[in-house]
Amino acid sequence: MRDTHCDYSGDRDEALVAYLYDDIDPAARALFDAHLTTCAACRDELSGLAGVRARLGRWLPPERQPAAASRSSPATSHQSPATRRTWWREIPAWAQAAAALLFLGVAAGIANFDARYDSSGLSVRTGWSKRAESAVPAPVRGPETNAPWRSDIAALEQRLRAEIGRSNNAGTTLASVATRPDRPAAALDAETLGRVRSLIGDSERRQQRELALRVAEIMRDVNAQRQADLVKIDRSLGLMQNNAGMEVLKQRELLNYVLRTSQRQR
Amino acid sequence: MTWTDEELVARSISGDADSFNELIRRWERPIYALAYRTIGREEDARDVCQETFLRAFRALQGFRGQAKFSSWLYRIALNLCHDWIRRERRTPVVQAPEDVDLMALAAAAGPSESVEDLLARKDLTRAVERAMALLPDEQRTAIVLKEYHDLTFQEIADLVGCPLSTVKTRLYQGLTVLRRELAKSGGSERPRLRSVAGRTS
Repeated sequence: MRDTHCDYSGDRDEALVAYLYDDIDPAARALFDAHLTTCAACRDELSGLAGVRARLGRWLPPERQPAAASRSSPATSHQSPATRRTWWREIPAWAQAAAALLFLGVAAGIANFDARYDSSGLSVRTGWSKRAESAVPAPVRGPETNAPWRSDIAALEQRLRAEIGRSNNAGTTLASVATRPDRPAAALDAETLGRVRSLIGDSERRQQRELALRVAEIMRDVNAQRQADLVKIDRSLGLMQNNAGMEVLKQRELLNYVLRTSQRQR
Repeated sequence: MTWTDEELVARSISGDADSFNELIRRWERPIYALAYRTIGREEDARDVCQETFLRAFRALQGFRGQAKFSSWLYRIALNLCHDWIRRERRTPVVQAPEDVDLMALAAAAGPSESVEDLLARKDLTRAVERAMALLPDEQRTAIVLKEYHDLTFQEIADLVGCPLSTVKTRLYQGLTVLRRELAKSGGSERPRLRSVAGRTS
């Protein structure tokens, strides 16, 4: 990529990056500006890297609403920002644990869902990690590795239990912040239940959307593979027809020969 | 009245829970975006984001203001991302449950964004994601922090604990790899750099 004819006196790569991001002091910028007027290689590379930045600029994370806005239950949505509390601070630790376990269980089922249609037919796989070809070879492990999320669930459960224990002892921990004496216990329970349901609903919707996406991708792959198969079949049929035609021609020539020979004998 | 991050931290330490909530509201999106672009998976990025704030909350007493609150938060998030990457690399793939009716589930799904739109968006960003995944962690981190979080070279150097020149070198090397990989995947983009366009013309 680097042109050997570039005669920039300083560290050219560093200067180029600093110039690219406009994070450069004025003297260095002036120096590099002057260099650019005479160096086609640097101009080309700068333009290429700016193109990369343009592509990077289109890489957006999936939409995500802020927790405070998206996860508030209707019961608390009327509260002013000053009194609104973040969802995870109001839900008791046991409810957080339940929601987290449920979420992990569902996610474990279809996380990294991967389905393929190829010469060996339709195959479906899921997992926490990337496909084997892109990962470091997995070490040989015991039977418990068939369900890796179990250890995650156990660890999370242990953590949350510890959290619950701490919240029972200390008055300022996360769960206890939500317990306010001016609110009846039934109202708190209903609110908590509503939020847990909302959390579970959010999680399910996300999973379903992901699944729909995967299914659409499968359908696209299946169609592509079908097209490829049809082309292959078409070619094979053409070959067979060609072979059959050749065979007929041979038979006809043989028949003509036999007829000619028999006429001569008469 | 708008409090600075550092003032909100001080108020949180003195027991004002709403101040910490305000910090979450301010920094949730950037932290989630950082996590997503570093580890590449939406659900896990959410987990990392939540864990970042949990850890920050627990460690708030130890925050002495030597660095900006945002830098401190970024460091926690990056550490969690790197933990996640290490863990992910040694985790095996598991088999799908056989009793799941995929078509019925897909038919019942009511996505807010249509599947076609989702596919188009995925196609658009897949090339970038693949190219980014090829980079070593330190190059990817430098690019994410510079490109999407607009940190200065010095701030990145302080955050990841390396010399300033190393940050620039990592960025140069990473961008060069991306340029090559994106060229393979096809398509070109006109440069949007106002400074470059203006100064080189």
